[in-house]
Amino acid sequence: MAFQPSKSKKNLKEEEGALNMNSMMDMMTIILLFLLKSFSTEGALITPSEQLRLPVSQQGEKPKKELTVSIAKNSLMVNDAVIMDVADIGKEVMLIPPLASRLSDYAAQEHELEIDVGKEFTHEVIIEGDEKIPFELLFKVMYTCSKTEFYKMRLLTVKKGS
Amino acid sequence: MAYKPSLRRKSDELDMELDIRPVMNLMVVLIPLLIAGAEWVKLGIIEINVPPAKTGGPGTGDDQNEQKEQAKKLGLTIAVSETGITIGNAGMILSGEKGEGPTVERKEDGSYDYAVFREKLIEIKKKIIGQGFVDENRAVLTASADIEYQIIVDIMDNLQTYKDDEEKVHALFPEINFSKILQ
Repeated sequence: MAFQPSKSKKNLKEEEGALNMNSMMDMMTIILLFLLKSFSTEGALITPSEQLRLPVSQQGEKPKKELTVSIAKNSLMVNDAVIMDVADIGKEVMLIPPLASRLSDYAAQEHELEIDVGKEFTHEVIIEGDEKIPFELLFKVMYTCSKTEFYKMRLLTVKKGS
Repeated sequence: MAYKPSLRRKSDELDMELDIRPVMNLMVVLIPLLIAGAEWVKLGIIEINVPPAKTGGPGTGDDQNEQKEQAKKLGLTIAVSETGITIGNAGMILSGEKGEGPTVERKEDGSYDYAVFREKLIEIKKKIIGQGFVDENRAVLTASADIEYQIIVDIMDNLQTYKDDEEKVHALFPEINFSKILQ
């Protein structure tokens, strides 16, 4: 005689709809590895802003973090600290005195470090200029840099086609 | 009537599954963090090495003074103005198509004609290479006061290197000095 179908077993088989996460995990692992690889620990070289849009260039090497002089549309900055307004730079002068004094301070600091701990003074400075600044202003900044021992200048640009 | 099979018999088959929820949580946090820290804009630098300033301004294009007498100098100068780009050196100016004005005139739409400019430079480079000029890699770049920085960078792009038909990169005048027009 056949068993009578159990009344309690009839409701036992609940649909167990577990989400299959294996493929998603694979994907996540790959993305994670890729992002970890491209992760840079050097920190951001620039602070992007509306006032400082870098010019586009086809070439250029990978930048290192150095002392930066930024020429934004309205202000002049050294290592992101505002030195003065661009409008305050005299028309006739070649040397920009506030910038020169600040850079001299940095140069003196670097010299001290060179003597104390043997960190080499590279004389390098990165100039970040807005794409719209006139040549005259750029030239004045470069002149000031070279007068204050920072004569290895690097112009920071955004690489085209990347 | 037989007893119905015990339901407990199955309970020793342990239905174990790896609990991946903590890992997922970690991923969900880590991925946005890394995306936020990733480098989206590729930056590049253009090197300009000015000799340490002692006398005179930077970028006067002078080599060491003791070599000044015997060395053959090219003194290539690129001047950018509102009307166009002028190529010249201490002795002469390369004239444009019309015989006067800048060497490479500005195009009608207001942009500079970099293609023609580069051709002229390649021509010059081919002529002077191997002739023993001490500054065959050097060019002095100067511009009117109100030329935009982007244009200067474009000029430098075309001035430093060029690509031939086989996409090989050759050096043109990689050492750039800056100078100011005396007004």
